[in-house]
Amino acid sequence: MNLKNLQIGLFIPCYIDQFYPQVGIATLELLQKLGLDVHYPLKQTCCGQPMANSGAEKEAISTYKNFIQNFSPFDYVVSPSSSCVYHVREHYNILEQTDEVKKVRQNTFELCEFIVDILKTDDLKIEYPHKVGIHQSCHGLRGLKLGSPSELVTERSSKIHQLLSKAKEIEIIIPDREDECCGFGGTFSVFHPDVSVSMGKDRLSAHLRNGAEIITATDMSCLMHLEGIARRQKHNLKAVHIAEILNSNRL
Amino acid sequence: MDRDKILQTIRENKAKTAPLPKPFGSPTEKQDSGLINRFKEMLQQVGGGCFEVNGAEELHAFVGEHFPGATDFRKEETWKEFPPDCPKEKLAQLKTVMLEGQFGVAENAAIWLDETRFPNRLIPFIAEELIVCLYSKQIVQDMHEAYSKSGKNTTGFGVFISGPSKTADIEQNLVFGAHGAKKYSVIFY
Amino acid sequence: MTGHAQQAGQFLKNRERAAWHDETLWIVRQKRDKMARAVPEWEDLREQASQIKQHTLSELDNYLVQFEKQAQKNGAQVHWAGDAARFNEVVSGIIKENNATKVVKSKSMLTEECGLNPFLEKKGIGVTDTDLGERIIQFREEPPSHIVMPAIHLKKEEIGELFHEKLHTEKGNFDPTYLTAAARVHLRQKFLEAEVAITGVNFAVAETGTVVVCTNEGNADMGVHAAPVQIHCVGIEKMIPRMTELGVFIRLLARSATGQPITTYTSHYQRPKPGGQMHIVIVDNGRSEHLGREDYRNALKCIRCGACMNTCPVYRRSGGHSYGSVIPGPIGSILAPHSHIKNYNDLPFASSLCGSCSDVCPVKIDIHDQLYRWRQDLSEKKRISPTKRHTMKIAGKILAGSKMYDFSGKMARWGIKNLPRKLVYNRLNVWGKERELPEVPKESFKQWYKRTQQGKGGKNGQG
Repeated sequence: MNLKNLQIGLFIPCYIDQFYPQVGIATLELLQKLGLDVHYPLKQTCCGQPMANSGAEKEAISTYKNFIQNFSPFDYVVSPSSSCVYHVREHYNILEQTDEVKKVRQNTFELCEFIVDILKTDDLKIEYPHKVGIHQSCHGLRGLKLGSPSELVTERSSKIHQLLSKAKEIEIIIPDREDECCGFGGTFSVFHPDVSVSMGKDRLSAHLRNGAEIITATDMSCLMHLEGIARRQKHNLKAVHIAEILNSNRL
Repeated sequence: MDRDKILQTIRENKAKTAPLPKPFGSPTEKQDSGLINRFKEMLQQVGGGCFEVNGAEELHAFVGEHFPGATDFRKEETWKEFPPDCPKEKLAQLKTVMLEGQFGVAENAAIWLDETRFPNRLIPFIAEELIVCLYSKQIVQDMHEAYSKSGKNTTGFGVFISGPSKTADIEQNLVFGAHGAKKYSVIFY
Repeated sequence: MTGHAQQAGQFLKNRERAAWHDETLWIVRQKRDKMARAVPEWEDLREQASQIKQHTLSELDNYLVQFEKQAQKNGAQVHWAGDAARFNEVVSGIIKENNATKVVKSKSMLTEECGLNPFLEKKGIGVTDTDLGERIIQFREEPPSHIVMPAIHLKKEEIGELFHEKLHTEKGNFDPTYLTAAARVHLRQKFLEAEVAITGVNFAVAETGTVVVCTNEGNADMGVHAAPVQIHCVGIEKMIPRMTELGVFIRLLARSATGQPITTYTSHYQRPKPGGQMHIVIVDNGRSEHLGREDYRNALKCIRCGACMNTCPVYRRSGGHSYGSVIPGPIGSILAPHSHIKNYNDLPFASSLCGSCSDVCPVKIDIHDQLYRWRQDLSEKKRISPTKRHTMKIAGKILAGSKMYDFSGKMARWGIKNLPRKLVYNRLNVWGKERELPEVPKESFKQWYKRTQQGKGGKNGQG
């Protein structure tokens, strides 16, 4: 595959755009370091997931169409968000399935799966001397099959783990209940706050108990939730998106 | 009326016919010794006791020595003592009951017993202790084999029994003898 | 806050107890994992079970007719009940015909669904639930909190107190073996006195007219074989074609439910006992309607194992009673709105959509997809709050075009950064009750990109 000829569209989820631009920057830089021609359509907004998960899928159609319009010129669409990518691949089925729509849906990838499955590489020459806990975001793990959920009787695998395990000096922490949900769940986090926070606290404790200094994931939403709790409880634990860790390399 | 309405609604609402998959073919297990060892392992897991003797004659001697007081339903005389219309109160007195199992299932230590094994259906459940004698060659690998063996069983009642009666309803603490047998053993011969 | 959220909030107030409930159910999930992993063909078994159910539901009318014919040939009396009221009438009719007042019942979620016990009580018929967990909650006059482990929300101290009051056990003795032994004596009396025994049905085999009941305690058998009249209550969806298919489900059921290779007793009732009566009541109660709902039809495959509850992080932290439905947890959340959309319209939202439930379901019900679909249908049927609807309409307009989106984002960031903390973290800020809001960056990604990347030659540039 001639990487130089590929046109990559970069999709930056709305909350990363607004609150965690460093994750977008890391993603852009990483893809460029890997030799890709990356474009960022300025008229992009959101994938529509927050509305759809709240039941307003019909109201989200114009947002879906905006996504398709912005990203149809590209060979691949890459995003540092497994939940947004899952939403496009699974739930854009309510749009009329034109060739354009089908193309975008089939070629939208989360960052880790893009690197492992499309670029077919996993050694990003990273040195990362930290104790890093992996949080398996549910939409990535179960939705995009970025790894094997602990409840399925299949061979164990994890793309995040695969990428991180190649890093020098890293100590990967797998917490107990390795893939229990963090409790963010979109609007669930505000409409069911008690359960949401309880779940987040338990995730946090599991990582802390096992010595993690940093928690990483493919979804900044999970990390925003966990970090929000960590900061309120005044823990030293930091949340770092996988894009930032993978970008701290010598490529 | 209800019947017709229910069937009618189903006919209107059911999906297009989906095919019935072929019977499940599970991977074949090792030979006999593998089966009996697996059975014994599972029997222990489900809380059952295990004895092993060599053949029917040794079994006879073993039972005589170790379970002399057992109400043995492998014997015809015992059936006469407990006829089908036997009062429940008499059955409730049963302490140790011995039955002949028809075949066992290695994957879960279950043993099939139908009503050709006891004169009254309460017997396997009402006794304090249940002992099942099982011919060691009569062990199949799993439930698929089990159901092809028991087939379209034509007796009025049959049961797979695996271990003693149990419950964990009180704060997940495992207790034997909820309503059925408190103690359960298998004698292989 | 809506029903479940409010109830869950109450449940979580006792942090220690909530943590104990969560851990207890997690252990059951782990037991299930261990058992499933010991069966290398587990995922194939699930697929097989799913397909068998799919087929059976697509030919359900034929299988019901076949079952009825066989059961009648076997000497059983087969009754049909279109709804709960009819079901209750049929059962009480059989009891009255036999001049019976003493009834024992083993576990049946169907009878819970139809409200059989209170109905019979009103008619002067005493029903004793004989499953230990069910007897406990019957004494406490509360509904089960889990479909397999009805008293999982109770501690042994509470059960000890209860038994002291109801069974005159020693005060302060909470030993589970002691308490179970007391229940054994008490319920044995009931079994021996019973004139009618009612059971649920795990599987009904069309080929042979057999009714299959799985228990660990043996209470179904004690009841059925002691009482002269036995009544088996079966939902139409419990049909399976032949004995061959039974093997698949028996292998999946106990492993999924409690992490056991099989229940202690797997009983096959085929013919009445000599001199006895055997009745089978086939119940619809909305199931045939449900069959017509393409998006939700798969929920009829459910074999009532409860694995979805054990794996659900929300269920574990809120308890079965928070759902307010006969069947709680993930499967309950997709079934309940069918029966009463108004009462249960919040249940599909009581989930983070993690998807674990669908993975553990032995018959591969797409629970998390149905939860998502329900949210859309409830929204369309205007079953969500007007505020929420309005907010979504506005959000839809903002997110459809970049100009409004960019502007709103800027405002939000400005607000969080510059408004005093007290204003930002006010009572209305639900997020902020126990979490910090994200720190506000100098500029958004888009602003950074415009500032640094636009106009650069070569590989960087706008699409």
